[in-house]
Amino acid sequence: MVESIIEVTGLVKHYPLTQGILFKKQVGAVKAVDGVDFTLNKGETLGIVGESGCGKSTVAKMLVNLEQPTAGSIKYKGEDITQLSGKALKSVRRNIQMVFQDPYTSLNPRMTVGDIIGEPYDIHPEVAPKGDRRRKVQDLLDVVGLNPEYINRYPHQFSGGQRQRIGIARGLALRPEVIVADEPVSALDVSVQAQVINLMDRLQNEFDLSYVFIAHDLSIVRHISDRVGVMYLGRIVEIGRDAEIYDHPTHPYTQALLSAVPVPDPEAREHRERIILAGDVPSPTNIPSGCRFRTRCWKAQERCALEVPALAVPSEFRLTSGPAAHDSACHFAEEMQVVPSEGPAGELPRTPPDDLANGRE
Amino acid sequence: MPEPQEPEGAIAGTGMGGAMDLAVSEATTLEKGPGQAGGPQGKPRSLWSDAWRDLRRNPVFIISGLVILFLVVISLWPSLIASGNPLKCDLAKAQEGSQPGHPFGFDGQGCDVYTRTVYGARTSVTVGVCATLGVAILGSVLGGLAGFFGGFWDSILSRITDVFFAIPVVLGGLVLLSVVTSNTVWPVIGFMVLLGWPQISRIARGSVITAKQNDYVHAAKALGASNSRQLLRHIAPNAVAPVIVVATIALGTYIALEATLSYLGVGLKPPTVSWGIDISAASAYIRQAPHMLLWPAGALALTVLAFIMLGDAVRDALDPKLR
Amino acid sequence: MLLEVRDLHVEFRTRDGVAKAVNGVDYAVDAGETLAVLGESGSGKSVTAQAIMGILDMPPGRIAGGEILFQGKDLLKLKEEERRKVRGAEMAMIFQDALSSLNPVLSVGDQLGEMFVVHRGMSKKDARAKAVELMDHVRIPAAKERVKQYPHQFSGGMRQRIMIAMALALEPALIIADEPTTALDVTVQAQVMDLLAELQREYNMGLILITHDLGVVADVADRIAVMYAGRIVEQAPVHDIYKAPAHPYTRGLLDSIPRLDQKGQELYAIKGLPPNLMAIPPGCAFNPRCPMAQELCRTDEPPLYEVSQDRTSACHFWRECLNG
Repeated sequence: MVESIIEVTGLVKHYPLTQGILFKKQVGAVKAVDGVDFTLNKGETLGIVGESGCGKSTVAKMLVNLEQPTAGSIKYKGEDITQLSGKALKSVRRNIQMVFQDPYTSLNPRMTVGDIIGEPYDIHPEVAPKGDRRRKVQDLLDVVGLNPEYINRYPHQFSGGQRQRIGIARGLALRPEVIVADEPVSALDVSVQAQVINLMDRLQNEFDLSYVFIAHDLSIVRHISDRVGVMYLGRIVEIGRDAEIYDHPTHPYTQALLSAVPVPDPEAREHRERIILAGDVPSPTNIPSGCRFRTRCWKAQERCALEVPALAVPSEFRLTSGPAAHDSACHFAEEMQVVPSEGPAGELPRTPPDDLANGRE
Repeated sequence: MPEPQEPEGAIAGTGMGGAMDLAVSEATTLEKGPGQAGGPQGKPRSLWSDAWRDLRRNPVFIISGLVILFLVVISLWPSLIASGNPLKCDLAKAQEGSQPGHPFGFDGQGCDVYTRTVYGARTSVTVGVCATLGVAILGSVLGGLAGFFGGFWDSILSRITDVFFAIPVVLGGLVLLSVVTSNTVWPVIGFMVLLGWPQISRIARGSVITAKQNDYVHAAKALGASNSRQLLRHIAPNAVAPVIVVATIALGTYIALEATLSYLGVGLKPPTVSWGIDISAASAYIRQAPHMLLWPAGALALTVLAFIMLGDAVRDALDPKLR
Repeated sequence: MLLEVRDLHVEFRTRDGVAKAVNGVDYAVDAGETLAVLGESGSGKSVTAQAIMGILDMPPGRIAGGEILFQGKDLLKLKEEERRKVRGAEMAMIFQDALSSLNPVLSVGDQLGEMFVVHRGMSKKDARAKAVELMDHVRIPAAKERVKQYPHQFSGGMRQRIMIAMALALEPALIIADEPTTALDVTVQAQVMDLLAELQREYNMGLILITHDLGVVADVADRIAVMYAGRIVEQAPVHDIYKAPAHPYTRGLLDSIPRLDQKGQELYAIKGLPPNLMAIPPGCAFNPRCPMAQELCRTDEPPLYEVSQDRTSACHFWRECLNG
C-alpha cells in the first residue's frame, strides 16, 4: 500500500492585473495555475515537466508556501497547509523544503557557508542545540560532497555545482520529508548536472525523501522520476508512471513535446518525425475555452472547444490494464510512440497530417 | 503589478556570449570532487573584505581618504595646527595680505584668514556628517520598509517623495530658514534632513525591492524566517551598498549647500565660523583682496571634491560591474 | 575552405591574473557544412567565435596568436574598416538571447531594413519591402502587418526567427550561431533548428553551431569539434563521435546525459570541476578529471593525433578510448 504524503486538489493561482496608482482596480487575471491535482507518495519522485509559463514554478512556490493559492488545497499528511499560520505553519515548513534553480541568487552572498546552512537551526532552534550546530553543518557539507573545512568560506568562492550542493545541504538541514526542487540542474554544465542528479538520487535513499522535481528537460525528469506530470498552460494534461508517459503517451501535447526533444544519436535523425505544433502558447490571461490545448492541436474538433476534458483514464483505455491506461486530459486520446528507442528504424511514430506538420508558429 | 512570467528561462550555464564565457568565476573556486580531498586554496573572503582590498589599491580612495581624515582631525582639534582664536580680530589689519605668522592674510574684519579657514572645517564637517546621518537613517528606514512591505503605504510614501522632489532646495531654504532665529547649526541640519531624505528613501526602496526578489530571501522565507530576520539578515546587508555610495557623495553636497545657504544669509550666522559666511563677506572685496575669498573657497571645493571622489571609489569597489 | 582557424590564442586580463581562454584552436568550415563546436562554460567556444567575428572586447581580451583565414584572407591582418565590411555582409552571427540583441525602440522592419540601407544603399521604401520578404522567408505569419511591430510584441521563437532573418539579410557565406535555441522551449527549439538547417542548405552557407547540447548536435551537425579548456580535444564527423568517442572527455559527456527512451541507473559523472583558466594543469588539461590518466598525461601536453583521415584527438591514449 502506497502512502501519500502530499495531496494537491484543485490548486489555483491567479495574479490580478490591476490599474490605477493609489486605488487599484482589477482588470483581469494571469491564470498561472488553473486547477492542478496530484498526489505525492512517500519515498517517490514526482516529476513535473512543461514549457516556460506553464505554471510549474508557481506550483512549486505554493507547495513550500511562498505563494498563497487563490483556491484549492495542499494537504500534507491530511492537513491543509494553505490554511495554516504562525506556529503550525512554521512546523510544517520544517518538513517541506525547497531547492532553487539558480545557485547564484539562492545563496546570500554576505553570509558564510556555515551561516547559510546553519540558518535553519537559528529559525528552528528546537532542532539542534546551539553547541551542536557547527558539527551538524560540517556533517551536512560532508554529506553533499563538500569539504567540511569550507564552513567559513563565502558563496562566491564556489562554482555553480558546488553552490547547488550548498543549497541542497541547506534544504536537508531540518531533515524534511519532502523536497521541492525547481529546475535544480538547469543552470549547470552537463558534466556537473550528472554529479548533482546522482547526489539527489543518493540522498533520497539515505534520508528517505520524497521529491517533487520540476524541470523542462524531459530526459533528466525521466531519469529521476517515478511518476511524471505534464503541464500545459496552468494544468496537468497527463500524468502517470515514467514508462507510461514516455513510451505510451496518449495526450497530443505530451506527444509533441517528446517528439521535439533532440536525442543524442545522429542515427536517429533520418528516421525521426517531429510533431511540429502550430501557433504559440496562448496568453495565460486569456485561456481558450474547453480544452486549453485545442488551439494548437491537430486533432481538435468542435467538442474540444465546448467541453473541458477531465484528467482521468480515457474511456477507450479504461477497460485495459496496459500502460496506456493512465490519466490523460484529452477527448481523443490515443497511444503513439514518439521517443525513438535504441531499436531499429521499425518503430516509426505515426506522422501527423501533412498540413498540420507544416504548421508554423 | 502582475507577475505573469515565471523565470524559467532554459538558459543552461553556458556562455551567454561576451567575454564572460570565461570561467573567471571558476577562478577562485575550491575543489572537492567525490573522493578527492579539498584543495587548500584561498582564505574565506567576504564581499566586504574584497571591496576593502580593492579600495586600498585605489589611489583615488587613498588621496580622498587622506584629505577627509585630515579634515576630521582638524575639525576635532583645530588648535593642533592653528594656535590663534578665529574670533579675535584686529580691524586695523583688515584686508591685509600674507605676513609672517598669518600666511593667508586677514579678512575684512581683520581676523586671521588661516585660523578662520581651519575652524570653518569643524562647522562644515559637523553639518555634513550630521545631515548625512539623519538623511541616511530616516531615508533608509522609510524607504526600506516601504520597499519590503509594498502596498498602500508604499504608494503613499512614493507620492510624498514626489512632492519633496518638487521643492527647489535653495528656495525652500530661503523661505524656511529665514524665519529661524537660532544661532546654532541645528536648524540648517534639520532643513537638510527634511529635504534630503526622499533621495535616500527612493534608493533604499529600489534596492530593497531588488534584493527581496533574490532566491536567498525566498529560501529564508521557506524556512520560516520572520519578516525582521528576512529584512535585517538577508535584505539589508545586500541593499545597503547603493545607500552608502549616495550618502557619501551627498555629504559633499550638503557641505556645499551649507555654504550656499550661509552665503545667502539664511544658513549659519556670525559669530559661527563657516566657510560660507567668509565667502559671502569676502565676495564684496574680490578685486581688492582676493585672498580673503580664495582660501575658504578653495577649502570648500577641496572638501566637496574629496567626498565625491570617495563616493566614486566606494561605488567602484562595491559594484565592480559598473567599471 | 571557407573558414580556417589556425592555432588561435586568446587571453583575458583580469583582476586576478591572465586567463587563457583559447589555447591553440584549429578548425575549418566549408561552404554548406555544419560544424558544431561543443563545450561547457569556460571552454572557450564563444570566445573563439567572437574572435572570428571580430567582436571580442579588447581589452580585456587580446588575441595572442594564430590566424583566421576567411576565403583565403587573414582577418586578423585586416584593418578595422575592412573588417567591418566583412561583418554582416560576408559573415553573420546569431546570439542566444534574441530579446537583448534587438533594439527595443525600433520596429523589426526598421532593424531588418537598416541592413539594406547601410550595406546596399537602398531607399527606405525598398528596404521595407525587403524586410517583409525576409520575414516571409523565415516563415513569420502575416509579415506585412507585423513588420511594423516592436521586438517585445513577438514570442521568443519569433524573435529568434527575426534574428535569423537579420543574419541572412545580406546572404553571408558563413553564419555563426551561438546557442541559438538554448533559451527556447523544446517545441519551439525544434522549429527554429529546422528552419536554420533548411536555410543553410538553400544558401549553401557554412554554419558554425556553438552549443552545449549533445542532442541538438546530433540532430544537425556534419562534424563536431569538442572544446575543453580552450583547446579542441576531439574533432570528427558526427556519426563517428557518437558511435565511439576517441577522447575521454567526449566519452564522459556522452555517458553523463540521461536518456529519454529508458530510465537509467546511476549516471556517469565526470568528477571534479572545469579547470581554472588562470592555472590550467600542466600536461593534458583534462588529466585531473580523467579516469584514464597516466603519468605521461601529467607531464606532456598531447598533440592532435590523427585518428583517421578526417578525425583527430588530443589524447595520448585515444586508441584505448576508442576501443572503450
